[in-house]
Amino acid sequence: MSEVTINHVYKRYEGNVEAVKDVSFTCEDGEFLAILGPSGSGKSSMLRMIAGLEDITQGEILFDGKLVNALTPSERNLALAFESYALYPLMSVYENIAFPLRAQGLGKAEVDRKVTFIAEELDLADILKKKPSSLSGGHQQRVSLARALVREPNVTLLDEPISHMDQRVRAEMRARIRRLHDELNLTTIYVTHDQAEAVSLCDRLAVLNFGELQQFGTVDEIWNQPANRFVATFVGEPQMNFIAATMETPQEVSIPTSGGKITFPYSRKVDPSYVGSEITIGLRPHQITLSLSRTHEGAIGGAVELIEFQGESAILTVTLEDLHHTEVKVVVSGERPGQAGDSVWLGFSPEIIHLFDKEITISHETQR
Amino acid sequence: MAQVRLENVSKLYGRKRAVSNVSFGCEEGEFFSIIGPAGAGKTTILKMLAGIEKVTSGTIYLDDRPVNELSPQDRDVAMAFETYNLYPHFSVYDNIAFPLRAPRRHESLSPHQERERVEEIAAFLGITPLLDRRPTQLSGGEKQRVSLARVMVRRPQLYLLDEPIAHLDARLKFSTQTALKRLSGQLGTTIVYVTHDYREALGLSDRVAVLRGGLIEQIGTPEEVYHTPSSDFVARFIGDPPTNLTDGELVTTDGETVFRAGDDFTIQIGEALRQAAEKVAHQEAGRRTLRLGIRSSHIKVSRERISENSFQLPVYAIARNPQGPMCTFELKDSFLQANTEEGLRYDMSERLWLDFNQEHIMFFDKSIEISKR
Repeated sequence: MSEVTINHVYKRYEGNVEAVKDVSFTCEDGEFLAILGPSGSGKSSMLRMIAGLEDITQGEILFDGKLVNALTPSERNLALAFESYALYPLMSVYENIAFPLRAQGLGKAEVDRKVTFIAEELDLADILKKKPSSLSGGHQQRVSLARALVREPNVTLLDEPISHMDQRVRAEMRARIRRLHDELNLTTIYVTHDQAEAVSLCDRLAVLNFGELQQFGTVDEIWNQPANRFVATFVGEPQMNFIAATMETPQEVSIPTSGGKITFPYSRKVDPSYVGSEITIGLRPHQITLSLSRTHEGAIGGAVELIEFQGESAILTVTLEDLHHTEVKVVVSGERPGQAGDSVWLGFSPEIIHLFDKEITISHETQR
Repeated sequence: MAQVRLENVSKLYGRKRAVSNVSFGCEEGEFFSIIGPAGAGKTTILKMLAGIEKVTSGTIYLDDRPVNELSPQDRDVAMAFETYNLYPHFSVYDNIAFPLRAPRRHESLSPHQERERVEEIAAFLGITPLLDRRPTQLSGGEKQRVSLARVMVRRPQLYLLDEPIAHLDARLKFSTQTALKRLSGQLGTTIVYVTHDYREALGLSDRVAVLRGGLIEQIGTPEEVYHTPSSDFVARFIGDPPTNLTDGELVTTDGETVFRAGDDFTIQIGEALRQAAEKVAHQEAGRRTLRLGIRSSHIKVSRERISENSFQLPVYAIARNPQGPMCTFELKDSFLQANTEEGLRYDMSERLWLDFNQEHIMFFDKSIEISKR
C-alpha cells in the first residue's frame, strides 16, 4: 500500500484537447477513494496516468512521496482490474491467477500459498481448475480481480469493475470488494460513473467534470455540502430538486406563489448582501417531508402528478403551487404512496435546504 | 386501444421451448410489463404479439379476435426494439416522422400536424435539441430515445416496447421512465413492456408478469410481486439489494417452533408464520428443510440485544450510504444484507444483534441456487 499524490496534473491530447486540467488530490495510505464523473469528465485519463498507461502532460504523480511520472506500469507495482476481464482462455483459473506471480519468478510453494489465499478470499476455491470460458461473467470478473490482487500491489486501481454485472450480484460484489480492501489493507482507487456505487463503497470521492476537479471530500461532505450545482445534481438519485426563491434575511428564504410568498427558515447564516436577491434552493427528494394537510406555516402546496412505485419506496412527481409551477420529486415510503391527483403539502426543514447562486453553492463563507 | 389475451401460447424453435403455455390478459389501456432474466422468453412473446414470430400453439387475441394468422401490418401495433434501426441518411426529425408518412396509414397528417406530433413527442423524451441531427451524430442513449420517439409518435391500438430504455445511463433512465409513465397516462393506449430491470417494471406498470424459462412464475400488481413474491426466484429477482435468502430447518421442541440455519442463526416463529413454514417445508434426511427470505429493510441491527428473538453475527463488510450504512453478514450459504440507521458506524468483524420483523419473513420451497457466486 501507498499514498498516492496527484499534484497539478494536466493531460492534453493532440489537437489541444484538454482531458484533465490542473487536478490535485491525495489518496491516503489504506484509503478507498473514488474518481467519479460522467463520461468525458477525464476520469479514465486520470486513471491511465496513475497506472502509467499514458504520459502526464504536466504536473506530478507521487507514490509515497516518490515521483513516478517516468516509471512504467510494472515499475509502479499496481493492480489493475478493468471492466473487460481479458483472462487467458486456455489457462485454468488457477493458472490465470498464478501468472503474474510466475512472471515475478516466485517459487512453486509461494505461488500456491498466495493463489490459495486470494481464491479463498474471493470464493473462487471451487473453480480453480475450470477454464474461464465456462464461467459466468461475475466469476470471470472475480478471477480478473484475484489476478490483479495476488501480487499485493502498492495501489489497486479498479475501473468500473462491477458496472456490467447483474443487479442481483452487484450488492454482493460491493460487499466483497469492500471486505477485501479492509482485510488486505489495500489502497484502492475506484473509477466509476455510477454515483451510487461510489457513495456506497468509498471513503472519499474526487468528483470530476470537463477535466476539472469539482470537489474532493468524504461521502458526507459531498452529500451535505456539495461544492457547486454540478456536484449537487450528479450525486444522489433521484437528483436534487431546484426551486427559484428569494433570500429574505440571512436566515430565511421565500418561494413566491400566486397567494403570496412562503417563507422557510435556513439553518446557516449567509452573507447579508444576499438579502433581496434571487437564488435557487436545492432539496434532496429523500429529505422532503410530505403531508396531506397543512400542518404548519412553512409548507408549500402541490399536486401529485405521478407515482412510481419502487418497492421499499415510491417516487412522487409533484407540481408545486409556486409561480413557476416547478416539478419536484419526493421519495416516500412504498407502503402508502397515495395516488395521482392528491393534494399534498411539502415541508423543508432548515437543515435540508441548500442554497445556490446560479451554479455556485452559497455557504456561510461565500461572499457575494 | 386494444385488449390483449394470450391463451396457452407456446413457441418452439426446433425442439427448444422458448415459451411454454403462457396465458395472460391485458385490459384496455393497461401498462403491462413482462420481466425476467435473459433467455426467459420475454422478447419472443412480444414478437408473437407483433406478428413477427409465428405462434407454435395456443391463441393470441386482440379485442377478442384471434390474430395468429394476421400479418404484422394488419395488427395495428407499434413495436420498439432494443436496437435502434434508425435511417442513417435521415435527420432525427425525419426518422421520427417517417412512420407518419407511410402510405398505408389511414390518417394522413398535414405537414403542420406532422410537425406538431413530432415536436410533442420529442419534447416529452427530451430530444428536441437533436431534431436536426443525423443518427451518426448521436450517442447510444440519444439513439435509443429517438427510436422510442419513432414508435410513440404513432397512434396504434397497442404499443410493444422491448427494453426501450435499457441503454440509457442511470440518470437518463429515471427521467425517461417518468416521461414514459406520463405519456402512457395521456395516451391511454395499452402497452406491453419488456424489461429485465425490476425498477422499470414496478415504476411503470399496472401489472407485472415475471417470466422464468419460458413459463410465467407470477402475475400481479407491482405491490404484489414486491411484497408477496410467489417464489424465491421472484423474491430474488425483484428488489435491490435482492431479498436475503437462507436455507435451514424447522425444529419443534416443547410446542415451540424455531427456524434454524446454523448455530448462530435461530429464530422463534409465531403461529401464523409456523403454518406458512410448514406448507413449504420438505422432509430431507429426517429434517424439515425450507428456505427463509427477508428484505434488508425488514432487519433491525443494533449493538444491544433487541428482543428475545434476536441473534448475533459478525459484520462481513459495510457499505456507506447517506441514508445509513448497509451491513453485510456472511452466512454459511449466502450473504445477508441489512439496512441500518443513519448516523451509526459499525466496524468490520464487530458482532451485532439482528432482529427480523416477523411480519415480513417469507418461507419458500427451494427453486433456485443461492450459493455465494
